[in-house]
Amino acid sequence: MILGALYFGGLAILAGIGVFFIFKKAIPDQDPFMLINNYMIYWVMGDLALRYFMQQLPVMNIKPMLLLPVKRQSVIQFLLLKTSFSFFNILPLLFFIPLTIVLMVQGYNPLMAVLWFASILAISFSINFLNFILNKNNTAFYVVIALLASFIGLQYFNIFDITPYTGVFFNSFYEVGFTALLPVALVIVLFRMNYRLLRKNFYVDGAVQTKKEKFKNYNLEFLNRFGTLATFLKNDVKMITRNARPKQVLLMSFLFLFYGLIFFTQDTYKNMPVFLAFAAIFVSGGFLITFGQLVPSWDSEYYKLMMSQNVSYKKYLESKWLLMVIGCAVSFVLSTPYIYFGWDIYAMIAAGASFNIGLNSFITLYGGALNRVPIELNQKAKAFSNTQGFNPTQLLISLPKILGPMIIFYLPYKFINFNAGIIALALSGVLGLVFKSYFLKIIENLYQKNKYKTISAFSEKK
Amino acid sequence: METIIKVQNLSKSYKADKVLDIEALDIPKGQSFGLVGNNGAGKTTFFSLLLDLIQPTTGHIENKGIIVSENEDWKPYTSSFIDESFLIGYLTAEEYFYFIGDLRNTSKAEVDELLAEFADFFHGEILNQKKYLRDLSKGNQKKAGIVAALIGNPEVVILDEPFANLDPTTQIRLKKIIKDLSAQKNVTVLVSSHDLMHVTEVCERVVVLDKGQVVKDIYTSEATLKELELYFER
Repeated sequence: MILGALYFGGLAILAGIGVFFIFKKAIPDQDPFMLINNYMIYWVMGDLALRYFMQQLPVMNIKPMLLLPVKRQSVIQFLLLKTSFSFFNILPLLFFIPLTIVLMVQGYNPLMAVLWFASILAISFSINFLNFILNKNNTAFYVVIALLASFIGLQYFNIFDITPYTGVFFNSFYEVGFTALLPVALVIVLFRMNYRLLRKNFYVDGAVQTKKEKFKNYNLEFLNRFGTLATFLKNDVKMITRNARPKQVLLMSFLFLFYGLIFFTQDTYKNMPVFLAFAAIFVSGGFLITFGQLVPSWDSEYYKLMMSQNVSYKKYLESKWLLMVIGCAVSFVLSTPYIYFGWDIYAMIAAGASFNIGLNSFITLYGGALNRVPIELNQKAKAFSNTQGFNPTQLLISLPKILGPMIIFYLPYKFINFNAGIIALALSGVLGLVFKSYFLKIIENLYQKNKYKTISAFSEKK
Repeated sequence: METIIKVQNLSKSYKADKVLDIEALDIPKGQSFGLVGNNGAGKTTFFSLLLDLIQPTTGHIENKGIIVSENEDWKPYTSSFIDESFLIGYLTAEEYFYFIGDLRNTSKAEVDELLAEFADFFHGEILNQKKYLRDLSKGNQKKAGIVAALIGNPEVVILDEPFANLDPTTQIRLKKIIKDLSAQKNVTVLVSSHDLMHVTEVCERVVVLDKGQVVKDIYTSEATLKELELYFER
């Protein structure tokens, strides 16, 4: 957790120092500060979206405070102010403080630069409080995401560029100054709204009460075709659709679909196809990796039940594997639009999917068996808590996942040609499938060997 | 009578701390067996060892001749409800029962038949609720867990603190269920409890654990409750 925070914090500082010069170099004939202000709109929307599924609500912590001999007013104010120290508020600080200093050094009016910084800070906190008001509201989230996507899309295809218009607003904090009152007023209003919302719900049956989800049922009979595996498959589908944490994973794996855009749109990587192989793995493997690395942790809440029932490890593992394969296949189908970048790229993604199904799935399951982190299914992951599994073993096990496909592709590519690399990658997956029961046996033995360790790790209270 | 559970030289230690030490204990088939003791006496440890959820430091437990830590063949005829970690929170009660049924090779119809027998016990609060188990009250969760432990005609049923959290009516019904299991279906029922009255009423035999050791082994009679109360008064 600390490692992740340090990493992103460091990144923010570096970006804060560098962003001015990057813009200066990229577009020399324009004021870099203006350009930064133009792009600010993306930060606002992106931040809002990120917080939506990463930041925790302050109401969660009310219950133990209800009975304290402290005035409700102070408790609520304390709760709200405490959120200011959330990592999501510190991160913008780490970015904007260095940037403001760079601005001053570069000869911008120091007083106005500070005013600008204060306004940005106010906006950052507005996002913080707005997030709590919006939270759990899916519609708002999708609207933000859709707007963000369409603005970026419109700009990318040179149809309409919103940034100069919103840029005027952000720029005015520096140019005009008194417009800074706007974001400050906004923070105050949003803080008040939050306060009132919490005050009204400050009872055990109010906001504190965990929301009871409405029962959802679907017909999963079609899964019966998988025979004895169907029992587990049906259960896993319910697990994924009815719990917050796996839903989060589902969303993450959807975002992985777009991972290829970073690589496939850059000409730099055209000449380094080995990085394309790397990207291709993630396009189809998002679900396979993010879900698979937490098997058997997904079942940690009722692991004792599984262990005292007549459950065969083989069937258990096979059903998880099958689910991962289905996820990979679905991702692959959804990745069809990548044909836009050429058949070479698409062939690469197909070969990557083959590697994922035939080899990566087993490597991931093996890593998962070593993971042993209990999961609270219906609790969203706290920011960076998914780095819990971040230990040397995990790092070691992720090496073959990342380097494996690159090497399998690179060697034939280097010595023969591009197509040979793709064929090798695809074949590696097929080969993995041939040895499926052998691989599953190895993982099964690992489960058996670590049975008691896993049970005791899962029964530890978080 | 035929012995079904056989404990030999069983001990469990965490570092130097010995939490369970039972030299020998035989439980005959069809007996209703009660385990009492204060917190930390080793009741749950014993049940966990019986279910092979933890590893014994020395000795072993045989369940119908099978050493539980070496072979898993005891699982099909043994079932248990120890705590909430035996429930799957995101399933409804029905879904949970059918899932357990699937694991124990029991068809939907058979599960339904069994559930019908327990309509009284459920008191209309478990089935057709359109609620996930995690949203049920503690008492209702317990009802679901106990009944799930009876799916698939088990020969050995292990219930840890089954009476805790239940309302009086349900407690009375549960007592009848346990008695019937042992008397009519020849099922071996192992129950632990803090409630001496319940245990003496339900169990043919009561074993008292203290600091991991068997300190009393009584076949219940009229005098048992007094004897136990006297012991715990110390």
